Amino acid sequence: MSEAAKAGLKRPPIVSGAQAEGGHMPEFEKDYCAFISRAHAECGELAEFDFGGQETILMSGPDAQEVFFRTPDEVFSQAQAYQVMVPVFGPGVIFDASPERCKTQLKIQVDALRYQNMKHYASVIAQEVEDWIADWGDEGEIEILHAFHELTMHTATHCLLGKEFRHSMTEEFFSLYKDLQAGVQAISFVDPYMQQPVFAARDRARERLEEIVSELVARRRASGKEYGDALETFMTGTYKDGSHLTDTELTGLIIATMFAGHHTSSGAGAETLLEIARHPEYAAELKQELDEIYRDGEEISHASMRAIPKLESFINEVLRLHPPLVILMRRVMDDLQYNGYLIEKGKTVAVSIYESHIDPVYFPDPHRFDPHRQEPERMFAYIPFGGGRHKCAGNAFAILQLKAIFSALLRRYDFDLVGPAEDYEDERANMTIRPKDPCILRYKRRTV
Amino acid sequence: MRVKVDLDLCQGHSVCLVECPEVFDVVEQDDGYPQVVVLINEPPEELRKKVMSAAMFCPNRVITVED
Repeated sequence: MSEAAKAGLKRPPIVSGAQAEGGHMPEFEKDYCAFISRAHAECGELAEFDFGGQETILMSGPDAQEVFFRTPDEVFSQAQAYQVMVPVFGPGVIFDASPERCKTQLKIQVDALRYQNMKHYASVIAQEVEDWIADWGDEGEIEILHAFHELTMHTATHCLLGKEFRHSMTEEFFSLYKDLQAGVQAISFVDPYMQQPVFAARDRARERLEEIVSELVARRRASGKEYGDALETFMTGTYKDGSHLTDTELTGLIIATMFAGHHTSSGAGAETLLEIARHPEYAAELKQELDEIYRDGEEISHASMRAIPKLESFINEVLRLHPPLVILMRRVMDDLQYNGYLIEKGKTVAVSIYESHIDPVYFPDPHRFDPHRQEPERMFAYIPFGGGRHKCAGNAFAILQLKAIFSALLRRYDFDLVGPAEDYEDERANMTIRPKDPCILRYKRRTV
Repeated sequence: MRVKVDLDLCQGHSVCLVECPEVFDVVEQDDGYPQVVVLINEPPEELRKKVMSAAMFCPNRVITVED
């Protein structure tokens, strides 16, 4: 954009209260939901804040959010906004790959999540849920954050890396994965390569994971068997020149898939069960629906879960009030004009899923949990999985998994809070939302 | 009935292809995700149910149906 054109445009208003050190980062880290709501209320559709030295423009409301999601990568770059993930995913993987290779890697990742693979995953998840509740007995208490972490760990390794791996390697895989996760935190956005014990642990974990994946891949190449899991799809995928992903890239794609899908699904599962315990009246509707669908002893499968409307609406409402990811970011690669304002090259733009979902225009009485709500007609108002070309490719998998889990659970057990309802709050840390730890519920086998 | 697709949203999940192969195909692209192709822009009335299922079950809400 020419200097003259830029001069004619307004600058986005700046959020008050920046600190000399870290700008708005300290306030953001304390409670980012509260900070984002304050920024939006104070400045409106565009609100610029200082995210630890990075000038970041929060774009609020479906009009601005639509621009965020539809603007192509050459102008709003996802890769440049998430360079913090490069040492976690590894060199040459996704945000570190050339645009062309990156597109192919993401395509191969989606191939593993297409309809054809989903039938296999549905039966894997159903089996894992059965194993998970096998020793629950008739009644008891359960800490649901831990329980869902474990379940989704098993479903994730099973669907991604196969049955054998899931039963032999899940423990080591997850202890390494934990070190990778700890390597992504607020300071990583300042510099993910500085000398820090957490970053050294991250790099060691990345290295060891690649060894493990390389061994697994070598064994599979030698065996020539078919597995039907995501790794098989990753291994058969090709670049335009016909070459396959390297072991480094395969490892990176596995890590990237885990990062996108594990803690988000784990948190969403826990939030769903918590809302079920909070709302016996809605839980009764879900049980009635499931009892009808599975009345004739039908198994949990891709086909039986095709349409479970009440459960789906319930899950949608959980994802509205407790979106696992709170903000999404892009780096501005070229000046853009929006509504008379300049969105300047070099800045970051952000969309807040949380803030979008509490807009009273689209969600009246927004803080009330109401699974009977209609999804707004306006596109880009309800965005639990983001939108546009970078929408979470695992969205169908995530919903399928939640439907499988609750199809099995609600037909067998009733769930209740063990303490006063106000003791159950959301934790808003590390840029995600989930119930506060510990989150204990009581369960009791249903009498038919 | 007129079928419209928003290609900005399509990631080639292929649910439409399973629900209604008469109207939808999913085609590999030079670059990036495969994308939906509408084979019949104005499908006959007897396909309405299948077209509506494709629109409803598309995980990315790519498909809209206008009367």
